Amino acid sequence: MRDELSASRGEASRAPDASPAAAPAAACSAPSGRAPAAAPSSARPLLVALAGNPNAGKTTIFNALTGARHKVGNYPGVTVEKREGRLSHRDREIRLVDLPGVYSLTAYSADEVVARDFVLEERPDLVVDVLDSTNLERHLYLCLQLLELGVPVVGALNMSDEAEAKGIAVDEERLGALLGLRFVKTARGAGMEALLDAILEAAEGRGPEPRLPSYGPELDARAADLEAAIAADPAFAARVPARWLALKLLEKDEAAERLLRGERPSGGEAGPAHARLEEVERILGAARLRLERHFGRDAEIVVSERRYASVHGAVAESTRLAGKARFSLSEKADALLMSPLLGLPAFLLVMYGIFKLTFALGAYPTAWLEALFSGLAGLAGSALPDGLAKSLVVDGILGGVGGVLSFVPPIVILFLCLSFLEDSGYMARAAFITDRFLHRFGLHGQSFLPLVLGFGCSVPAIMSARTLKSSRDRVATVLAVPFMSCGAKLPVYVLLAGAFFPRNPAAAIMGVYGAGVALALLSSLILKRTILRGEATPFVMELPPYRLPTLRGILAHVGEKTGSYLRKAGTVILAASVLIWAVTTFPLAPEGATPDEALAYSAAGRAGKAVEPLLSPLGFDWKIGVAAVTGFAAKEVVVSTLGVLYRTDLDGSEAGPRGLAERLKEDSGMTPLVAFVLMLFVLVMPPCLAALAAIKAELGWRWLAFEAAYLAALSWGLAFLVYRGGLLLGLGA
Amino acid sequence: MEVPVRLSELPAGGCFRVERILLAREVGKRLADMGFNEGRRGVVVRRQLSGGPLQVGILGGSVLIRRSEAEGIEVGVLEGRC
Repeated sequence: MRDELSASRGEASRAPDASPAAAPAAACSAPSGRAPAAAPSSARPLLVALAGNPNAGKTTIFNALTGARHKVGNYPGVTVEKREGRLSHRDREIRLVDLPGVYSLTAYSADEVVARDFVLEERPDLVVDVLDSTNLERHLYLCLQLLELGVPVVGALNMSDEAEAKGIAVDEERLGALLGLRFVKTARGAGMEALLDAILEAAEGRGPEPRLPSYGPELDARAADLEAAIAADPAFAARVPARWLALKLLEKDEAAERLLRGERPSGGEAGPAHARLEEVERILGAARLRLERHFGRDAEIVVSERRYASVHGAVAESTRLAGKARFSLSEKADALLMSPLLGLPAFLLVMYGIFKLTFALGAYPTAWLEALFSGLAGLAGSALPDGLAKSLVVDGILGGVGGVLSFVPPIVILFLCLSFLEDSGYMARAAFITDRFLHRFGLHGQSFLPLVLGFGCSVPAIMSARTLKSSRDRVATVLAVPFMSCGAKLPVYVLLAGAFFPRNPAAAIMGVYGAGVALALLSSLILKRTILRGEATPFVMELPPYRLPTLRGILAHVGEKTGSYLRKAGTVILAASVLIWAVTTFPLAPEGATPDEALAYSAAGRAGKAVEPLLSPLGFDWKIGVAAVTGFAAKEVVVSTLGVLYRTDLDGSEAGPRGLAERLKEDSGMTPLVAFVLMLFVLVMPPCLAALAAIKAELGWRWLAFEAAYLAALSWGLAFLVYRGGLLLGLGA
Repeated sequence: MEVPVRLSELPAGGCFRVERILLAREVGKRLADMGFNEGRRGVVVRRQLSGGPLQVGILGGSVLIRRSEAEGIEVGVLEGRC
């Protein structure tokens, strides 16, 4: 997943040299300082960016256009990284880039920066703005900001079917004439032909003449003054659209101020500063003052209000509202799910239901799969001649990989539930309900989604923390995600709980999950009080309407996640199983050694004995220690390692092959206390390599090093305390 | 029109008209971007208990804001329906 993303990023960053040459042909009438250019040569694919507010349906359009099956979410900010697809229309190659959803181009959060920098730096030939037709007034706000950039824009009036059902009639011709761009109605992937035609038309300069939006005489005049001052440095104005920069400067946008001084919006060098910096800053100061006097409020608010005024005028002239069925099913559901009294119990019930479903329902197919793998091991055991090959197949491969594959069913169920919640729009409600609580622990209502996704897999969970605005909140959230018991830890819990807490395995598993949540909160609280001090950050988010998730969308998502789990079982875990089989088998013990003596003689035995002093305070003997430590590669490996370490020893048993849980119970000498400590240790130990890579990508090396050291120390300390405490309480037996 | 009050003081179901945003640059700007502009009408859809966030219906949709942000929005109370 990450590889794909970074690959697409790499590709996107190689292309920009090509863009200025073919700078939008249609932009020539806009006094943006861009050089007019000939129609783009047909040799180079058109670079088209998909922009739009969160929940406008960008990803659906992206999928419909490219045939890709990306995850569509119903939560602000599901597309946290831009994605790229290719298609061709009427013999024209198009590179389509799906940008994260943003309300505005003010670079308020990390995903807004991604979207804004793409349009500014990569200079796409055209931007398709995807708008929700049921709420044009809000969505056109971004459209105007795209027009300010002087880039050709085509508007996709998405969800036009829902708008019609609500009695909203949009005259797209009229709206287009008012704002100077083509609008095309789309809905659920329909209308793509017309949209593509409009894209080609606009990119080849055959569309309506683009013009800069007008914000009333006073603001237009101030912006024009400033634009002229910026355009006085032609080299600078060729890099940065002057009108856009003028408006952003009036808005007191810090990134724009940095750009003027020659710094990149996100920090670092971008190019020379404006040649007449002082002159521009003088005019800017005077213009802001005049605006604030004229309108009687801060300039940044004025620009925003004038934009909305312009939107309001255009919408009023082009749309009619028949009937007023305003409050719908969404409102009825929210009356319960977001109610001050019942919202929290409903939320807890939903969470409980998910876990109940995962474990109770998942237990049956898991048992069947376990039986299947035991049967296969028995079959292979009797078919293969005694020797190393048999040992490799039975103990190494079937024992290791089979142990992990048995846990696919509960993981599929968990992903199904999480996808359903995410697509339905419930996650934003949960953020509303949990904000006050999370806020107390130094987290944020918007930390909720990353934390819950952490029950599935830490990698997307860590990435989804980008929707958080302040870096303090983002750091706190990312650092808390590994405490959530991800799908890979689940097999470890299920195995150990099944073996050592046979009366009530679900309670033991819930206990570990609960401990994870409690640790995430406590740890965040400690970080908030120590190294992550800072101001409380605002909580302002849009509440998306409920949408019935589509089966196709959910299955695509679950298929992708399950596929990646299976791939992991076929690659990393297979390799790890074989490796662990090898180090537990070689060097071969002298003839006549018992299996235990042979194991102790092997490389793993010797290494395990060497580190035993470190792990014996936790109640782990060297075998358990080896299994626990291999979890650094991926958590499921703990299960496969146990499978290899506690071998089937087919020859000795009369009753046929025993399941891994049984072998653990009978052969490992673990007590329930040690098993529970092992579960806690696996919960808290540093996450797998993929998750560590995600932390590095989001927060950098320093935080990665901190988190790894912190979790390593905490997992040992916690395991030590619980084990010693348990012994004192007499739970050691 | 009565004396302006803070949005945070409105009960659930209360209709209002935005007067002005009192908050500092970034948050104030964000609120303006989300549609809290002078003269715009809205309604407090619901409030969480004891200090939790508010759900505000504005500009054809719902926005969730924390009470501390709502304290920075000055509104005029509208009687009756909005």
